[in-house]
Parts: sequence; structure tokens; C-alpha cells
Amino acid sequence: MHEPATSETTMVSVAETADTSVVAAAVSIRGVSKSFDGTEVLRDVSMEVAPGEVVSILGSSGSGKSTLLRCINWLETPDRGEIHIAGDRIGMSDTGKPMSRRELAGMRSRLGMVFQSFNLWPHLSVLRNVTEAPIHVQGCSKAEAGERAMALLEKVGMAHKCDAFPYTLSGGQKQRVAIARALAMQPKVMLFDEPTSALDPELVGEVLAVIKDLSKEGYTMVIVTHEMEFARAVSDQVVFLDKGIIIEKSPPEEFFVTPKTDRVRRFLELEAPTA
Amino acid sequence: MDSSAWGMLMQGAWTTAWISATSIAIGVVLGLLVALVRLARIPVVHQVLGLYISIARATPLVTLVLFIFLTAPTMGIHLNRNVAGILALTLNTTAFNAEIWRSAFNNFSKEQREAAMAIGMTPWIYFRRIMLPQITITSLPGLVNEMSFLIKGSPAIAVIGIVDLTRVTNRISAVTYDPLPPILAAAVIYMGIISLLVWLQRIAERKANRLAV
Repeated sequence: MHEPATSETTMVSVAETADTSVVAAAVSIRGVSKSFDGTEVLRDVSMEVAPGEVVSILGSSGSGKSTLLRCINWLETPDRGEIHIAGDRIGMSDTGKPMSRRELAGMRSRLGMVFQSFNLWPHLSVLRNVTEAPIHVQGCSKAEAGERAMALLEKVGMAHKCDAFPYTLSGGQKQRVAIARALAMQPKVMLFDEPTSALDPELVGEVLAVIKDLSKEGYTMVIVTHEMEFARAVSDQVVFLDKGIIIEKSPPEEFFVTPKTDRVRRFLELEAPTA
Repeated sequence: MDSSAWGMLMQGAWTTAWISATSIAIGVVLGLLVALVRLARIPVVHQVLGLYISIARATPLVTLVLFIFLTAPTMGIHLNRNVAGILALTLNTTAFNAEIWRSAFNNFSKEQREAAMAIGMTPWIYFRRIMLPQITITSLPGLVNEMSFLIKGSPAIAVIGIVDLTRVTNRISAVTYDPLPPILAAAVIYMGIISLLVWLQRIAERKANRLAV
């Protein structure tokens, strides 16, 4: 086991008594493993995200960081381990059987996800991309959903494009709409899967600025990213994954200044020579 | 051609139009259902539907019309000519439509599906709100193509005595001994019906441009 494991173990035990304790972790990942075609992508990963906390997951490509994020909302099914969202287990019902599609959809609606490739729905206008799920999943009235959507589009600076269709937008604009779409479900946790990796360099800033604003407003967020400066500025905790194992978890000032492992030191030299 | 000949022609056109329209309407929806059921890959049902599609696509319409009209009574079912004609056209077009829908399903964006699942949509809401509106538009060129094939193939129903737009030209020339005018007039009417479909298709394609992400 690695150094951070000890502190995690104590956190796990806190979460296990979550039913009686006051605050459950926003996300609790316990012993999650996942293989694709015999290749182990995640090995016995455990971590916690406290409510209001911003956690960045770093690591080189193929380290399993996107897979870990996708396990949190069950887009990938872990082979072993449990994931709890605000105290409730996702994917499996209390009896240990896989959740029904409806139950799973209910759990997922508590998590907002932003994808690398935006994944907007091209047949719907910007506004309707944002109101679609509140209306048809949560059963909001059109007026209420529209109001909420416009406020969020305002927040991400896209209100003026509410009637536009996705194909007319730049990548940065699409991603800001995608963020508003995820926020419209009023999720407990926001998951970002390399939100700026598909963007032209000059468009990265506008998206990061929106995410930074969200962190100031107290949203709980888990962010997979390659943007070191950003991770340093926005995170409460930085998690480093290497070959499917968390080898470091520390606050950004520690992580970037005095990393504990050689692996992270080498990574930082390559990715952020200035840091 | 006198006015009574025109009247007969219009009646024939109407017969072709309503029988084709009925078969198309049923066939498009049924084709979607067949494609959906095949997507679920239920054992036996999957193979049976696959066999149906292979047979229906390989059978000439005339053969299918005659087969249904002649075998139904032996099984104690008494079919009116029009019903037999609609049944044959529908069985034929459903098979082709099912393949059009199926390829649209298979080519649909996995990313959009993930976005829908991640936001908490059930598979049904996703299908109805996200997937179906888009594959309807992207499938429309193929579906309209199939519709025009069906209309042009519909004279096959004349073999069981339905007087459609093609059959009626024979009847008119049997009186006038001048076959060319009614045949040309019928051709123009066929073109009119099909250009109406193509016009609808063009509107859909304009909408489809939006879907290019």
C-alpha cells in the first residue's frame, strides 16, 4: 500500500458509519477495480470527496483517470468495489442486485457530467438542451425549467445564444452549454472528464473560467484534467493515478511543490515545467 | 380522352394513392417496431424476424400479392381484395423499412447516449426525446426512397383485380383503342405523387443539416 492509503482507510471507516454520522461523503469510492479485456485499468482504488470539495484527478494518459470518473456515475461498471453518492450506493441495490434502469437513472440525475467532446444533442436548441432533462426527467414545468436554464446560461455567458443550434457554436461555447445542461439538474456533484482537451488553445480559458467560478460557489466537483495551472488553482485535493493506482493524494500546494513520489516529480517536470 | 376517361383515371389514381399511403403508414411504423425488437436480440424472435426480412425482400410483389390472396381462404380467412393488396404491400415495405431503421440505430452517436444516461434519462426517455427525432430525419431519405419504390411497384395489386392507376389505363384504352394518352396521363400522375414525396424529403434534409455536429 502507498502512503496516502492510511489516511484513506480512516476516511473509509468514517463513511461506513455514515448512516449514523452527520455528513456523508459526496462521493465515496471503495476498493474499485476495473479491467478491459484482461487489462487492469483500476486496481483497488479508494477515495473520498467531501461535500463542497474540488478534487482534480491527474495522471498520464492510460492511467485510468477517465475510467475512474466514469465509474462514479456507472457509465463504466466496476468489476469490484462500491461507490456511494451522498451515502447512497450507485449501481447496486441494497439487496446486492444490479439496480433497475429507473433506479440507476435516478442516481445518475444527482451527478452532473461534462464530457471531453461536449455531447450536446444536435436536434435541440441551446435552451432546449438545458431544459430537456429537467422537464422530462424531473417533471419540471416548461416555465420553471426555462427560467432555471436562462439563469444558468447567463452564468456561463451563453444566454445570448439560447435559440442557436449546437452546430453554430464554437467548441468553447458548446462546452459552456454542456456545463449549464449538467447544472440544470441541480446535481450534488459535478464530474468533468477532460473538459478542455478537445478545445483549440484559445478557447480553453473561457471554459476553465466557468469551472473556476463554480468552485467558488461551493459546488462539489471531480475534475479529470491535463491543465496543471488550473488544477493547482481550483483544487482542494489533487489525486494522482498511475497504472490504475492512486499513488498520491494531497492538497495542491503540497502536490505541486513537494511531491512525495518520484513518479509525480517526473510527471510534473514533463507536464508543467514551470510549476 | 373524354371526361369519363378522366374520371376513371382519377378513380384509379385515388385507389393507388390510398392503398399505397395506408401501406406506407403501417409499414414505416411496423418497420421501426421490427428494428427495435431485433435490436433487443431476443432468441428465436430475432431469427424469425431475420428470416421474414430475407424472404420479404427477395419475393416479387406480384408473387406476394397472389400468394396472400390465394392462400388466405384456404386457412379460412376471407380477405377483401383491398385488404389483401394492403397486406402484401405492407409486408414488403416493412421489411425494407426495418433495415433502414436498423442501420440508423446502429450508426447513432454513442456520445449522445452517454450524455442522456449521465443526466438521468431512462432508456425510454432517451429513445423518445433524443434518438427517435434524429434518426427519423436521418432515415427519411431512405424511407422516402422506399416509399417511391412501393408506389411504383403498386400496380402488382392489379393481379387480384384491384383497378389501380395502371390497370385503369387498360380499361380506358379497351374503349378508346388509343392506349398512349391514358398511359401518359397516368405517368404524369405517378410523377406528381412521387415529386410530392421528394419535396417532403428536401424539407427534411434541410432540417438534417442541423444534426451535423
